[in-house]
Amino acid sequence: MRRANILFFSLLLACALAVGPAAAQDTVKIGILLPLSGPAAPIGVNSLNGHKMAVEEINAGGGIPSLGGAKIELVVADSGGDPKNGLTQAERLITKDNVVSIMGAYQSSVTYPSTQVAEKYEVPYIVPSSYKPEITERGFKYTFRVCLTTDLAGREQIAFMERMGRLSGKPVKTLGLIYENSDWGISSAELWKKYAKDFNLEVVLDESYPSNSTTLDPVVRKLKQAKPDALLFASYTSDAILLAKGIAQQKINPMVYMGTAGGHADPVFIQNVGDASNYYFDLAETSPDIDLPIARETNEKYKKVYGEDMSDDCIKCYTSTYVLAKAIEIAASTDPKDIRRVLANIFMIPGQKGIITPYGIQFDEKGQNIHARGVVIQTLNQKRVVVYPSELALPGATIVWPTPGWDQR
Amino acid sequence: MEFFLEILINGVLTGSLYGLTALGLTLVFGVMKIINFAHGTFLMVCMYMTYGLGVGFGLDPYLCIILVVPAAFVLGYLSQVVFVQPVLKAERDVREPVGVLLLTAGLWIAVNNLFLMLFGANFRSLKTPYSDQVFEFGQMLISRPLFYAFVFSLGATAILALFLRHTHMGRAIRVVGQDREAASLMGVDIYRIYRIAFGLGIATLGVAGAIITPMLYVHPFAGDIYDIRAFVIVVLGGLGSVPGALLGGIIIGVIESVASQYLTMSWAAALIYMIFLLVLFVRPQGIFGFEKDS
Repeated sequence: MRRANILFFSLLLACALAVGPAAAQDTVKIGILLPLSGPAAPIGVNSLNGHKMAVEEINAGGGIPSLGGAKIELVVADSGGDPKNGLTQAERLITKDNVVSIMGAYQSSVTYPSTQVAEKYEVPYIVPSSYKPEITERGFKYTFRVCLTTDLAGREQIAFMERMGRLSGKPVKTLGLIYENSDWGISSAELWKKYAKDFNLEVVLDESYPSNSTTLDPVVRKLKQAKPDALLFASYTSDAILLAKGIAQQKINPMVYMGTAGGHADPVFIQNVGDASNYYFDLAETSPDIDLPIARETNEKYKKVYGEDMSDDCIKCYTSTYVLAKAIEIAASTDPKDIRRVLANIFMIPGQKGIITPYGIQFDEKGQNIHARGVVIQTLNQKRVVVYPSELALPGATIVWPTPGWDQR
Repeated sequence: MEFFLEILINGVLTGSLYGLTALGLTLVFGVMKIINFAHGTFLMVCMYMTYGLGVGFGLDPYLCIILVVPAAFVLGYLSQVVFVQPVLKAERDVREPVGVLLLTAGLWIAVNNLFLMLFGANFRSLKTPYSDQVFEFGQMLISRPLFYAFVFSLGATAILALFLRHTHMGRAIRVVGQDREAASLMGVDIYRIYRIAFGLGIATLGVAGAIITPMLYVHPFAGDIYDIRAFVIVVLGGLGSVPGALLGGIIIGVIESVASQYLTMSWAAALIYMIFLLVLFVRPQGIFGFEKDS
């Protein structure tokens, strides 16, 4: 009887010893929530590629050393761009797949509710590219946003136009706001209106539209009537394509086109629109041609594998993956609470391994990256070029202001 | 005034195209009394065919119609033989058959995702010399591909209406739509009529796919955005009515175009669905529909 007991316990001990270290060396599961189907799918796929490349590099370089070289495993979930679906998927990632952290979810309308799930289960949620300000305004302890917010971006867009107008002597006086009618577009428009007032610009067109429309011709016609000096867009890919084609067709001549990343930053936009994509400004956070050598090297590598330049979202997802890997490394633990504690105090600078955004990463108590800022990009000869601020532009990059008319192109 | 005329014309042109996309849906419903949820998917397949011919062989999309329409007919005919017909036969004696409805919904999701896997999620545009061109009438600029779409939509609708009215086969199709038992007793092979009607319904999408491609983009989910609208149009015009589809389409197109100038586009889209509900309340059989389902 006694013997049997001892035998049983020693067996148990042996099992525990065998399983223990093996589990630690196993894998660290990270959840990725992205729109991989539906209209935003191309952006979702780009973003996923960024995560994938970073993970491949980290795993090839020995995984997470402090966890005995544990490899990172991505558990990918498709939100389909649907908030409800995003909620269920986030719940699934945490409760069923036991991920130590989540990254996602591109659309603010999905990120906003799904971060709530992560907060409930106390799992860190890194947001590489959702702009809605309120995501980091709820006092959540587990939400960390790497990118700008619409608030910061909106201010930078309008400040840039005001400044360029002053410097060139050809000021913009009226604005046309054109935005998709979900969370992201509407919150962008509210901020544009607020800052337009601050900079004394008049809003002459304020137009929201459903992004999955068969035609955006009515919007283009309204634009033709209102004749604003500058157009501000918050568009996803398919709608950005339709609008640019419509504007070219109707030969509308604003002084300035200004996109807000999203669809205008998607390489597919230039492929589909061709020459009509020229002279578009875009407020982005980074670009493959930025004056930051590590970013350009990473882009070259990416291009070899995926056949296209890294999109803005892709770069932020790549960087976020490295930030999370670093946090897990420092925490030396797969407990989400430990990882959160490190993330809350982390400070990484551009040029550091894997940090290819032109700004550093450091989160304030709300979880917002305090270093995030924008760069202005202009599409010239169907190529996106960083033109502002000048310290991030390559030598020789110049701004074309205002846009030449259709008859002069 | 000229501006108003311009948006009106634009609404009519866009609407005729909507009408064309709804034509196949209404025909299939009118004859077989089934709702084809995979309608938008077939449209998407036709758009990919046009795009493929355009990029691969440099064929003009309007020239593609000659190839895409027969291909679409065969696709519809075969879909009927392989998928729909067995389910229809199995449910012949069921009081409320929903099998076909579920089948088409399944096809919709499966084929869309198959295309997503095959061709990826990127948007592609077929570049034609006239894609960005316009007709100028004074201050008015009317999109050339949209104008061509109008001409082809009217043409296709007229041909289908004449075919149904004046040919032997057309009459047989209408007879089956009116009373399938009686038609069957008169010696009409109703399954053959179903196959041909389904083929014809998808063939109209061949025309639509070819004329949409130079204007829009090609994407695995591109058909769905027309699909929802097609359902509204079919109910508005009267389920089963060919002229009703065209008229319903034009009404929707004009409402969308005019309302968007006074409201935002988001509200104009919502307005279409409000009108849809209103029609269901006031005249559930639609503008051209009969009071009693025969």
